[in-house]
Amino acid sequence: MKPYEWMVKYTPQTEWIEGRGILMWLAEVFGGIGAGLYLVALYFNSVWGMVLGWLIVIALKGGFHLAYLGKPMRFWRMLLKPQTSWMARGFIFMLLFIVFGAVQLAYSWWLPGTTGEAVFMVLAGIMALLVAMYTGFVMNYVNGIQLWNSALLPLLFVLTGVLDGLALVIAASVFGGNIDVLAAEAISRTLLITTAALIAIYLWSATYIGSAGRQSVIRLIHGNLAPIMWVGVILCGIILPVVISWFTHIAGATSAPLLIIAIISEMIGAFALKYAILKAGTYGPLIPVSAH
Amino acid sequence: MTRWGMVIDLRKCVGCYACMVSCKQDHFLPPNIFWNRLVVGETGKYPTVTKQLYPVLCNHCDEAACVKACPTGATSKREDGLVSINYDECVGCRYCLIACPYQQRTYYSNGKKEYFPGQGLTELELIGQELYPLQPGTVVKCNFCMERIDQGLAKGLIPGADREATPVCVNACPPKARTFGDLDDPDSEISTLIKHRKGQQLHTEYGTDPSVYYIIR
Repeated sequence: MKPYEWMVKYTPQTEWIEGRGILMWLAEVFGGIGAGLYLVALYFNSVWGMVLGWLIVIALKGGFHLAYLGKPMRFWRMLLKPQTSWMARGFIFMLLFIVFGAVQLAYSWWLPGTTGEAVFMVLAGIMALLVAMYTGFVMNYVNGIQLWNSALLPLLFVLTGVLDGLALVIAASVFGGNIDVLAAEAISRTLLITTAALIAIYLWSATYIGSAGRQSVIRLIHGNLAPIMWVGVILCGIILPVVISWFTHIAGATSAPLLIIAIISEMIGAFALKYAILKAGTYGPLIPVSAH
Repeated sequence: MTRWGMVIDLRKCVGCYACMVSCKQDHFLPPNIFWNRLVVGETGKYPTVTKQLYPVLCNHCDEAACVKACPTGATSKREDGLVSINYDECVGCRYCLIACPYQQRTYYSNGKKEYFPGQGLTELELIGQELYPLQPGTVVKCNFCMERIDQGLAKGLIPGADREATPVCVNACPPKARTFGDLDDPDSEISTLIKHRKGQQLHTEYGTDPSVYYIIR
């Protein structure tokens, strides 16, 4: 972009989605998946799920975040300003989740059923919830990008994180995990429909925030991002899993190939949703003139 | 208390890019990094088209979104209202860059990028790296030439009135469209201009209270 073209038109944000910004997208996706899996594993008391969720947050979310930083060796400085910055708060949530999660997993492994295990389950669970949620607040703070400037974003990210966690837990059951698949499917079905409704409300409300919000929604619904939105988010992320889930419900039994298709398509949906939201983030024109 | 600010009279701006060039030259800014920009647009339809020029730079907002967003405290607001970046503390997360609704920050990624690709850094570029050691992997932006302000004040000069203590873009502007001074002083030239010529801030709806005002009519 030439200097004189800067901000005359609607300008999509590129920093967190293009080039190395892809790492930021991956960090956000894996943060949701890891924290969601940990929460779901807590509910189903699945230790392997907790371990996997914990590892995803450390290795993938943490790893991609660090790789994105311009000065990764200074990462500890991100602890210093939690009073105003959601990025700093999120970093603290993640560190606390790693510490509490490690203690809880140690208890679950060596001293299961103790009070200590229960206490650290609660603490790590709260931190997992905050890890899944805070990226929504990080984005929601940015009032220049009206699509992101919505209070629904943190809620949407938590819901999708839990959904992804459920998908991974169901996947484990296919390969012999000790999980009540029908119960997980029932929760997943309800959450999928809730998420679909929330996405619709989120996009609808974004059009009322301002012209840049409307522009972002137009790009998502019938602009250059429509294939990602309709195929990735709606078809793969919502419709296919719901249809397969209903089929499982009606048949009263699970089908391993169908479950695998549902899980893969739900994962595609998880990646597509955050990609679409990050990519559609648009600043309004800086000056009140048309394009040169 | 002092709060440094700038007024840009759009009726005087001729779009010569002197502000952009002088800023780039004075700070030895690397390729593709601009702390001052000139936005050019048009309104109306042929044959009644009006060309509009908006010189833009960091607004040094009183309620700066970047300051609140910065997780390390590298971006901070000084007592005189200048929003500055400590490159030694910046972690390069680019949250400030995203949070600035005016898009006036740039990520400095490559310290070896040359003005003449393949020919190595020129002597001037090497001197620039010595004098203004920007750190690759951090975010950069206009600093209202705070080094000139600080050095000028130490010599007893008045920023805005004495050239040596005034931002270079203000000095370089041929039609004198830019005025620099203390917003908190009701008798300063800048305060008088804002009051009598109805100076306006960009996008007040963001609630950032910019220190750069524009005289539009």
